[in-house]
Amino acid sequence: MSATDANGLASAQSASGGIGIANLPNQLHKIVTKKGTNFSLMVVGESGTGKTTFINTLLTTEIIEPLEDAARRKKQLDKTVDINIHKAELEEKMFNVKLNVVDTPGFGDFVNNIDCWLPVVDFIENQYEQYLRQEQQPVRKGIVDMRVHACLYFIRPNGHTLKPLDVRAMKAIGARVNLIPVIAKADTLSPAALRQFKKRVMDVIDAQSIRIYQPPVDSEDESTSLRNKDIVSAMPFAIIGSTQEVKTPDGRHVKGRQYPWGVAEVENDQHCDFKKLRSLLIRTHMLDLISTTEEVHYDKYRTTQMKTRKFGEPKPRKADNKKFREEEEMLRKRFTEKVKLEENRFRQWEQKLIAERDRLNKDLEQEHNLVKQLESEIEAISSVNSPNGKFFRK
Amino acid sequence: MKDGSGEDQNVAPSVYSHVSRPGSHRYKNAKKGLPFNVMLVGESGLGRTTFLNTLCERTVVSSNDKTNAEQAHIAEPMQFKHHTVEMDEDGMKIILNIIDTPGFGDGIDNEACFTQIQEYLETQFDEVLAEENRIKRNPKFKDSRVHALVYFITPTGHSLREIDIEMMKRLGSRVNIIPVIGRSDSLTPRELVLFKQRIMNDIAQYEIPVFSFPDGEDEDDEETVEENAELRAMMPFAVVGCEEVINEDGRPMRVRNYPWGVVQVDNDEHSDFDRLRYVLLNSHIGDLRDRTQNEIYELYRTEKLSGNTAALANAANAANVQQSSHIMTAA
Repeated sequence: MSATDANGLASAQSASGGIGIANLPNQLHKIVTKKGTNFSLMVVGESGTGKTTFINTLLTTEIIEPLEDAARRKKQLDKTVDINIHKAELEEKMFNVKLNVVDTPGFGDFVNNIDCWLPVVDFIENQYEQYLRQEQQPVRKGIVDMRVHACLYFIRPNGHTLKPLDVRAMKAIGARVNLIPVIAKADTLSPAALRQFKKRVMDVIDAQSIRIYQPPVDSEDESTSLRNKDIVSAMPFAIIGSTQEVKTPDGRHVKGRQYPWGVAEVENDQHCDFKKLRSLLIRTHMLDLISTTEEVHYDKYRTTQMKTRKFGEPKPRKADNKKFREEEEMLRKRFTEKVKLEENRFRQWEQKLIAERDRLNKDLEQEHNLVKQLESEIEAISSVNSPNGKFFRK
Repeated sequence: MKDGSGEDQNVAPSVYSHVSRPGSHRYKNAKKGLPFNVMLVGESGLGRTTFLNTLCERTVVSSNDKTNAEQAHIAEPMQFKHHTVEMDEDGMKIILNIIDTPGFGDGIDNEACFTQIQEYLETQFDEVLAEENRIKRNPKFKDSRVHALVYFITPTGHSLREIDIEMMKRLGSRVNIIPVIGRSDSLTPRELVLFKQRIMNDIAQYEIPVFSFPDGEDEDDEETVEENAELRAMMPFAVVGCEEVINEDGRPMRVRNYPWGVVQVDNDEHSDFDRLRYVLLNSHIGDLRDRTQNEIYELYRTEKLSGNTAALANAANAANVQQSSHIMTAA
């Protein structure tokens, strides 16, 4: 049945077909279909860039609810970047995806935005850390994997170029996770302006060595390669988000934004790159995003950590945020004050006890002296009463 | 924005300006021209430069091509750029001085921007104060006090951001602030209405001083009162910048071309630009100048002149407070 060729390798060949190795992909398909998969997506950008709308449009469900006015006012001046995680389970044709969407309200929204990307970077690294620790446990059954597989960075369409904040943040984020830059609210740039803006953004990304996600382009069949090339050339993706259905002037019902001068359609490739981005995130490259995260980014983290730490040691804490340092100082001051108060109290108590002891000792001495006195009196009396007092005493 | 086909693409006077509107104040400065100083403040990319060009009806500033990608991570500090244009508005000659502020809000930490602008405004007041106190005044003195500050709000669609609130609060007592929404063609009509409402709510909530088209004390002209109320309801003005001029029915029109439609800058249903222009250069130019002179400058003057004695009193108070607090901790 098996013939050996010139190199001595055994090639399995039979009259009816192979031994069945070719069926492995089908087995994998069944396994994956049963297990489902876990996908974490992060959205980063200033408020009002359409992050919430985009997520809800992408997944055609309201995963993130828009903030109410009262909640938004509370967030206006609090000067912090929050991390909010929204979980959802998606099912399509019997295939499950456990989806995590990480939102970052407060990013870049304040007058002073120094280090506002630190909470984002910390979150990403913490997920790697958690996974690393879980892997090192003796029981590895229920590992919770929250590692971020893709991070969408929403760029404001100011028509000129990337802001310094964008450059710094993207550099820090792109080094740790699959970074996909996205031009938000693209319906405010005309096609020519958009092309120019995209080119400028890519120029800055190259010049500043910002690492962004490069999807693999070449594949076996021509049409996939072509489609991939198409997707890559559209980066950064210009998107419009809308969960509402509107009617176009020529009578179609589409998802879009209705202006007095026309309807900007979400799923129209002439209007924006939404379909390409959706394809990248879900239809064609989701598994590549997941495997790149595991094989490249997580591995890099793991290597650097293992070089410097022993197995099972906890992670050393970095210098904290300025604001936290201030709070820490305050707490420390309060703590030392309390300790001082308690010490004073103890000292006073000690002094009281010492005073008490001295007093009691004095009393004791007095009694002692009294006893001595009485004894000497007795002596005196007995020696006075009988010169030869031996008769009485015996 | 590059126009692509020659310099004077924006030469197209507003098609609506000849429609008569009530309450236009006229000044008899026909020969010399009325000086009017306007400052434009807003983050880059909100259409400030385009607004400037559209307002003056000519390309005053060509789009700055910041092609230096290697420098993109460095924030450029804010600058003050002056442009002067002579305008003719309904027969009234205006010398329009525009102060542009490129670099505002573009850095990572923007605290310094406010102080810079405040210092600029106060310097102009100081110059006028010094001039007033001279024995021999200079007849050719150029009054460079800023009469109006147009502040561009980012069209997030939510509400005011911290930088907007801080900015308007700190400078509202030194200049007439006119808030506008830049790039308002990114909002649908419904979103725009909600956004305007939320902004006005914020302005009321945080007590932000903006120019709110006040009626004069003895204003009995009903039309003016109505007009002011109408303008108040329109605030903040939604502005769209013009990219090109096309010929529509033989008339030049300022438009923005999108694959899904064409925005007409001068159309009142598409943007409030035209109304704003009329307010700035025609109907309320007098009010803005008067308020700057009579209220804002006077307030500054009072503060400054009594400020010397007040400063001493404040210092004495502070010293007292410090002393008493020392006594308390020692006890």
